[in-house]
Amino acid sequence: MKATRRDLFKFAAGGATGLLLTPAPWRLVTDAALWSENWPGIPKPVRGELRTRFTHCALCPAGCAVKARCVGDQPISLIGLPGKPLCAFGLMGHQLPYHAGRVRQADADAVRAVIAKRAANETVAVLDLRPGRTASWTYRRAMAALPRGVYLAARSSVPAVNLDAVKIILSLGVPVLDGWGTPSNVQQARSHFRLIQAEPAESRTALLADQWLKIRPGTELELVEALATGRGGAGTGLNEKVIASVANELVQAGALFLAAEESPSVLELNRKLGAVGKTIVAQREAPVPRSWKPAPVTPINSVPERSIGVLLIDESAADSYVPWSKLEGKLAPDALVVTFASSQAGYGRQAKHLLPTAVYPESTGDIPPAIDSPLATFRLTTPLVAPPRGVVNPAQFIGGLAAIDAADALRERAGAIHAAGRGSVCTYADGRSIPVEDIQPDQFWKALNDGACWIDEPGGKLLPPVLRASTPAVVALNWEKRAARGPMPPLVSKLYQESNLRVRI
Amino acid sequence: MSHRGTLFFLAGALIALGAGWAGFPRVIYRSRPQPVEFSHKVHAEKAGMKCEDCHEIRADGSFAGIPRREKCAGCHEAAMGTTLAEKQFIDGYVTPQREVQWSVYARQPENVYFSHASHVKLAHLECATCHGDHGTSDSLRPYQEDRISGYSRDIWRAMKMNDCVACHRSHGFEKSCLDCHK
Amino acid sequence: MSARSYGMSIDIDKCTGCGACMVACAVENNVPPAPEGVNERKGITWIRVFRLDNGAEGVDRKWAFLPMLCQQCGENTPCVSVCPQQAVQLDPATGIVGQMPERCLGCRYCMAACPYHARYFNWWDPSWPAGMEKTLNPAVAPRMRGVVEKCNFCHGRWHAAKARAAAQGRRDLDPADYVPACVEACPTSAIRFGDLNDLENAPERGSFRLLEKLGTGPKIYYQTQRDWVREIAAAPGGTERAHG
Repeated sequence: MKATRRDLFKFAAGGATGLLLTPAPWRLVTDAALWSENWPGIPKPVRGELRTRFTHCALCPAGCAVKARCVGDQPISLIGLPGKPLCAFGLMGHQLPYHAGRVRQADADAVRAVIAKRAANETVAVLDLRPGRTASWTYRRAMAALPRGVYLAARSSVPAVNLDAVKIILSLGVPVLDGWGTPSNVQQARSHFRLIQAEPAESRTALLADQWLKIRPGTELELVEALATGRGGAGTGLNEKVIASVANELVQAGALFLAAEESPSVLELNRKLGAVGKTIVAQREAPVPRSWKPAPVTPINSVPERSIGVLLIDESAADSYVPWSKLEGKLAPDALVVTFASSQAGYGRQAKHLLPTAVYPESTGDIPPAIDSPLATFRLTTPLVAPPRGVVNPAQFIGGLAAIDAADALRERAGAIHAAGRGSVCTYADGRSIPVEDIQPDQFWKALNDGACWIDEPGGKLLPPVLRASTPAVVALNWEKRAARGPMPPLVSKLYQESNLRVRI
Repeated sequence: MSHRGTLFFLAGALIALGAGWAGFPRVIYRSRPQPVEFSHKVHAEKAGMKCEDCHEIRADGSFAGIPRREKCAGCHEAAMGTTLAEKQFIDGYVTPQREVQWSVYARQPENVYFSHASHVKLAHLECATCHGDHGTSDSLRPYQEDRISGYSRDIWRAMKMNDCVACHRSHGFEKSCLDCHK
Repeated sequence: MSARSYGMSIDIDKCTGCGACMVACAVENNVPPAPEGVNERKGITWIRVFRLDNGAEGVDRKWAFLPMLCQQCGENTPCVSVCPQQAVQLDPATGIVGQMPERCLGCRYCMAACPYHARYFNWWDPSWPAGMEKTLNPAVAPRMRGVVEKCNFCHGRWHAAKARAAAQGRRDLDPADYVPACVEACPTSAIRFGDLNDLENAPERGSFRLLEKLGTGPKIYYQTQRDWVREIAAAPGGTERAHG
């Protein structure tokens, strides 16, 4: 019996009918749908026990307390403490280590050898972009120990602002409501002060201020002069009646004049307004071990031209940048520039070597008191995740050049604070505040690492600051400007690209 | 002769039926054993443990799932018995501090949200109602994975969405989509 | 357990336009950062803050910031009525309009139907920089390309609140446990969230809703003292009082 084509078709039809009566085709359709659900490349979030850990945000000197929700040890979201919310930047901080532009590898040993060789004969300068930390003390100690070491700070020390005493603020372009001070404190105090924003641009602070003085660009100091002397001010473009009324307002108690510029006239105006000692007070530092011998802070302007042989820049926790043009002239012709940073965006373009550092929330360090903190504080940023192998700790690197062991510097400092016996420690996990004298040194150190803040005692210790002519009244520390410098967490695209809420500078 | 066509038809049908019902399951599933030979029976009877000793519902309502190495190492730092399986477990996982990569029979798609807390603490369902007699088994059955979709054969037995919906409906507990999806 | 009607009350005068809510929402709901070339029309922002201005010039120009998110329409919900897949559902027990991306086939009919433009389409597969997928929230499933997503009032947190209540043997969740990410992040507490059926959460006098005349019954109530903002929002006049 020879099989014909018709037989074949009948066979196939039978097969098809039979197949439809089996689970196979229906199952294959469902499986295809299920397979399409598990689209490769769509990550599955890691599951695990949810834990809470505390640290401080190191992204700006406000150093807000952070409550991190972690899956196992990996933070998946950050929030502030009750009543002390984080800013938009702080909420994304846990994503910063994964920025695509991050530098991870470099040959630190080779660089160390080169610097060590040159340090014997040439001037070594450290440029600290966030002065006031314990790491800053390490740099100053290291520079004191080196034969020709110089410590440069990106900005001179600034006074502190006593927000409780402020009734009216005249801000010369300082983003008071957008990244200045500790944002949650400023928001809470907002109803107590009147804000006059003087700036040419339509910034967020200008939009939200009680009064916006739209001055012509470059006429800031002219406005200051006009307010101080009562004459002039035509160049600002403001009506003279407006200037007069602002001047009248300011002489009432509780005035504060904020500017980003370092200038004697800014300081003079604050003196005239009676701000010094009331709304502007001396910033104070937490106690330091007596054995630490620091080099003095050398103003950049007083460094001789073409004298620096090795320039080491700590960009790992940068607040203020110094324009390269200001530094260039101080470098010797064959100067070696090494920067400690996590991306090329800062001084990486000018430096010969870039040594990668840990980023928040991988980094360990302390955060200097915020500008709106008249009392000295000590708070640690403790690592929530492990940094990648190959990162360099700038304090230990630079300390090592001068045979100073900086590994325990934070603990030594905590010891000195405890020994001084002043102030209290606020633990975040339970919200308690314990006087330092009631706690053992080990417990104090453990509390600081688990998320706590040491605050000095109030009362009786607010001294008028010794303000030099070059001391700025205050410094603008604005994360939007910072955004132009370094890597931002990827989700910042929500604010810039994916909406028109903020405009990229 | 006139039945010849029917014969071919029936032949095709029978072969397809056979392939579909008997052959297809063998082909569509890829079978692998669990990495560790674990006996629930031994732990329940000899060690006197209950389900929730290892598979606990935490205070925040989350489910611990399959216990992690730390939990097992809490008792098995050193050998407690004489079986080879335990020795292999200690040498391969406890000592080098490696997590066991269990194949989870009940693994659901990522968009499914199942709350053990609601079903166990509020609805008072027994573990066996959904998981069968797994808790009294002496060994872990091999994990049969669907080659295309990646899910376990056990899902097809009693853990598809239809099965959840059927039980919810029969108890008059029909809920909204977001109750069970995330 | 009585039916709830979750809604929000947003004070436009308190919003400073900082964007913390936008970022907190993206972190909580695993919304990926934008790929190259994305603009504000193609971005995914389940909550988005808009700038409003009064149209004047120079220093007379005044600004306001309006957080805009899914209005969780309670009546004649437009997106629910047009979806061919029933991928979105108004839950009568909570009032939440739940979007199920796993059912969505990407026709975007709902995006056309939504009068508030509060729905977003995944034009591309989500892509996180290497390693960042570790920071994803396990309470919310990431979506693939080709599906629509929108605010679900942080259903991940709702699940967690219910699970916590269940672990304690309660059927009703504790309101303090269920706080959406935007509400938690707002530094001025401009956004408040709660069950509108609770007396203490009844919208304030003078509250208005957006596009009320469309009859969609949105559950987001806005307040402002500024008349020009009310004008832009086409809010009812000063003598009219909104009720819950």
